[in-house]
Amino acid sequence: MRRNWMLVCCLGVMACLVRSALAQEQERSDKGSAVVASAGPSTANSNASHDRRSPPALRSTASAERAQRIEGEKRFRTNCGRCHQPPHKFPSRVMATAIRHMRVRAMLTDEDMRLILSYMTQ
Amino acid sequence: MGFISNFSGGQPDLHPIATPLVLVPIGQRWVFETRATFENDLVQLPGRSGFHGGPVQKEVEYAQLDFIANSCVTITVGRFLTPFGIFNERLYPVWIRNLQSDPLILPIGIGPSNASTGGMIRGGFKARPQFNINYAVYFSALSTTSPVDSDRFAGVRTGIFIPKARLEMGGSFQHLLEQERSNLFGFHAIWQPTLLPLDIRGEYANSKRGSGYWIEPAYKLSQLPFLQNEMRRTQLVARYQQFFTGDLVSDALPPINTKQFEFGLNYYFIDGLKAASNYGRQFSSAGNLNVWTLGLTYRFVVPMGSAGGPR
Ligand code: HEC
Repeated sequence: MRRNWMLVCCLGVMACLVRSALAQEQERSDKGSAVVASAGPSTANSNASHDRRSPPALRSTASAERAQRIEGEKRFRTNCGRCHQPPHKFPSRVMATAIRHMRVRAMLTDEDMRLILSYMTQ
Repeated sequence: MGFISNFSGGQPDLHPIATPLVLVPIGQRWVFETRATFENDLVQLPGRSGFHGGPVQKEVEYAQLDFIANSCVTITVGRFLTPFGIFNERLYPVWIRNLQSDPLILPIGIGPSNASTGGMIRGGFKARPQFNINYAVYFSALSTTSPVDSDRFAGVRTGIFIPKARLEMGGSFQHLLEQERSNLFGFHAIWQPTLLPLDIRGEYANSKRGSGYWIEPAYKLSQLPFLQNEMRRTQLVARYQQFFTGDLVSDALPPINTKQFEFGLNYYFIDGLKAASNYGRQFSSAGNLNVWTLGLTYRFVVPMGSAGGPR
């Protein structure tokens, strides 16, 4: 009986959390989506693949990089403070190892990991 | 690394602890990771001054090899922290936990010595633009050699994470493949509302040996209009938990129904260095008890050798 009550309470709390999460998401959905589209899972040195560079292409590369940096920072903020205090930047070799570790431990998605790594090693 | 002093029912106890973690990235897809603990309990002996301790206790908590097979699958073999619930795998280290005491239900589902010996497949992927899914499926073999003992069980934990809301919820299930072959299950949630510097975590676990839950809100005082530099480093934490005994007994779990309320204050000096204090009161039919803890924890990272590099 007591266990059933606890289960009901847990489910109730979860339902409230989901509801407020969805409400928050609704509220922010119009602001949030602009940057996401341009940020692919590319790393800082992936420019090499852009070989046909006309001036507009250059400009778009620069803005894509900016968008990627902003996206990287955003993903850092959402992901890296979830379990512990978000860390400061370390030398890039250390950062790469720590983020690979976190990818395994925190089950980060591939895209999150790449964006965060390029943001943290800039 | 940490230095924790505990006053349980008025008995002081100093607890220096160091948990070095070694990470060795191998090529682009492999990581070897291992963590050991060196700890000592220093207590006051009647009729003698100062604190006295036994030999330093050493233990390898985990030693595992991870192979990142593709964007959604990582394969782990060796001895790994059992992913039942969230505390053991994510919040256990002294520099991470908000309150220095363990939740009462921590021993449920993680096996002896908190670890499994076997294999695991885990990963995270973006299921929809709005949310990610993470999962861990594992198997552990029976091992009776201390300190690498483990139970024989198989289990799964999955979670769904909504980045915009910073909410993760999930559940764990485990089937014991020895003794009474019972099933264990649990739920967990972590929420960091975007509008407040608040962190809410909670867990529920159920087994034949007992069940219970804890819920822990933590609030950073960064919104106060005065002493802003100090206040944004200060965190208030509370935890309420309850444990209910089950049909079977376990040495690791309380022998009677127990409620516990704890309150803590953390101060974050610089990256990785934290002062922690907490006060707790335990209520059970065996008598009520005060538990005080004061501590200082420090996490630092030192590069060794030249393995790995930015991918
Ligand atoms: C799911 C929880 C979780 C998330 C999310 C998480 N971490 Fe961690 N992190 C941990 C745990 C647990 C440890 C301690 C590992 C240990 O002691 O076994 C840790 C340790 C670390 C360390 C210390 C060195 C190491 O590798 O152990 C660094 C640096 C770190 N995390 C950075 C990050 C960054 C950057 C992110 C964002 C990408 C992140 N963490 C996200 C749980 C998490």
